Amino acid sequence: MLKVLASLRLFFFLCLLLAAAFLYQTLFNRGAPVYGSWWFAGLGALAAANIAACSLSRRGASAHYLLIHAGLVVVIAGAFVTRAFRFEGELPLRAGQESDLAYSGRDTYKLPFSVKLEDFKLEYYREPLGVITVEDAGGRRDLYAVEGASLTLPSARLKVLKLARDFGVTARGETAEKSPYWFNPAARLEITAAGKTRRLWFFANFPGMHGEDLPLRVTYALEQAEIKNFTSTVQVRGRAGTVTRAEISVNKPLRVNGYTLYQTSYDPADARYTLLTVTRDRGAWVVFAGFSILLLGVLLWLRK
Amino acid sequence: MAAQMILFNLAFGLTLAALASWTASYLAARPLLGRAGKTALGLAWLALTAGLTLLWVRLGRPPLSNQYESLLTLLWFIYPFAFYFSRRTGRPEILPAGALAAALLFGLAALMDRTARPLMPALRSDWLVIHVLSSMAAYAAFALAAAGAAWALLRGLSEDLEDFLLRLTKTGFAFLTLGIATGSVWAESAWGSWWSWDPKETWSLLTWLGYAAALHLRRKGIRGTKFGIILLVCFGLVLFTYFGVNFLLSGLHSYA
Repeated sequence: MLKVLASLRLFFFLCLLLAAAFLYQTLFNRGAPVYGSWWFAGLGALAAANIAACSLSRRGASAHYLLIHAGLVVVIAGAFVTRAFRFEGELPLRAGQESDLAYSGRDTYKLPFSVKLEDFKLEYYREPLGVITVEDAGGRRDLYAVEGASLTLPSARLKVLKLARDFGVTARGETAEKSPYWFNPAARLEITAAGKTRRLWFFANFPGMHGEDLPLRVTYALEQAEIKNFTSTVQVRGRAGTVTRAEISVNKPLRVNGYTLYQTSYDPADARYTLLTVTRDRGAWVVFAGFSILLLGVLLWLRK
Repeated sequence: MAAQMILFNLAFGLTLAALASWTASYLAARPLLGRAGKTALGLAWLALTAGLTLLWVRLGRPPLSNQYESLLTLLWFIYPFAFYFSRRTGRPEILPAGALAAALLFGLAALMDRTARPLMPALRSDWLVIHVLSSMAAYAAFALAAAGAAWALLRGLSEDLEDFLLRLTKTGFAFLTLGIATGSVWAESAWGSWWSWDPKETWSLLTWLGYAAALHLRRKGIRGTKFGIILLVCFGLVLFTYFGVNFLLSGLHSYA
C-alpha cells in the first residue's frame, strides 16, 4: 500500500485525473464548480500524500528535492486550511454609514469591529473628453465637446449648448449632475438641419437615441475616461474602542484585527456607495510559506 | 509611424533575415552565411530591446499590461535564451530554432491590438512586473524547447540536443513556478483570494503539472523522441493558457 502511495505511477495517474477535472470544469461544466466537491478534495489530499510518501521513502534525497516536495505539501496543506476556515463577506457601505455586518450569500456575519465609510472617490487618469461624431451623406466629422463649440456642414449646423458629466433629472424636472463622475455623460446640442432647429440631449451610454428624428447621425462618446483607481476612506472601530482611519483602494487592502478589507467595486448609479470585501484566511500564510520553501528548492535545483 | 514600431519591425525583419541566412547557408553549404545569421539575430534582439525601452518611456510604465506587450516581452526572452543555451550546449542549431520561434511569434504580434491604454486599477501593483516577466520567461523557454523538439523530430535527436531540451524545460518550469507563486500572492492582495480557480489560473496549473509530469517521465526513462513529443504537447498547453483562455474562455484575467 505504501509502495503505491510512494510511486511515480500514482503521480502520473493523479496528473491525468486532475487534468481531466480541469478540462471538464473549464471547457464543459455548466453546473457547480468541481473544485468544491469532496472527490476533488480527495484528489488533493492524495496528491499531498503521494508527494510526502515519495519524499520520505527516497534514499539520499538532496536538499533541493526535499525543499521542492515539502514546499508542495505545505501549499496543499494551506489549501485545505483555506478550504476549511476561510471567511469572506461583502461589506456594502454608503458614505456616513457605519456597519459591523458582512454578507455572504444568504448569511449575515457580525464582525469584531465596525467600519464607517467617510468618503468614496473615483480617480481618472485624465479629465475625460466628450466627442461628438456627425455622419451624413458627405462623410464623418468629429467635434470635441466644449460649451459653445460649433460645427457647420453642408447639410446641417451644430452647436454645443451644455455638457453634463453624470446627467440626472431632479424631482422638480430640472437637469442636475448626479455625481462628480462621468457615469452618464451627456451633451445638449442645437442642430439646424432640413429647415428645422432642434435642441436635443445626446447620451454617451445611449448612442441610438434620436436616430429617427434627424437626417444625419449624431453620437456622443467619451474619450480618455480610463479609471485610475477608486478609494474608500474608512474608520475602523475595534472592540477595545481603538479607531483606525485608513484608505482602501484596489491593490491596497487594509489589514486590521486579523481580517483584510478590500476595495472591490463601486456603483455607477451612486457616487456615495462602496463595496468592500472582508476576508480572513489563515491558510494563505501557510500557502505563502509553502511557496517560499518551494521556490528555494527550485532555485537550488536550477543551480545544480 | 511611431519610433518603437519602426524598431519592432526592424527586429522582425532582422529575424527573418537571420532565418534566410541560415536557410541559404544550409542549402548552399556555406557556413559563413550562418555567421551572418547569428549577427542578424543579435541585432534583432538589440532593436527589440531599444523598441521596448522606448515603449516603456512613452507609456511611463513597463510594457506588460496587455497581450501585445506581453508577447513582445516573451519575444525579448527568446533571443538571450537561444544564445545562452546554444553556447552552453555547443549546438549551433538552437539559434535557427530560436529565430523560427521568434519569427512566428512576431507574426502573431502583428495581428494583435496595439492600443496602449493606462493600467486599470487591478493592474496597478508592483507585482505586475515580476509576475508577468517570470511567466513570459517561462513561455519563452518552453517555446524554444518546443522549437528544438520539433527540429529534433524532423532531423533526428542527438545527445547534446537532448541536454538542451532538458535544460530549457527546467528553466521554463522554474520560471513558471515563480510566475504562479507571484500571481497567487498578488491575487491575495488585489482580489482577496490567493486562488480563485479562474480559467487562466487553472490552465497555468495544468501547464505546470504537464511539465512536472514530463520531467518525472524523463526520470522514468522516457527520453529522445518520446520526450520531444511530450514537450510539444505541453507547449500546446502553454499556448492554450496564454492565448486560448483569453479568446475562448472568460474570467478575471481578461486583460492579458
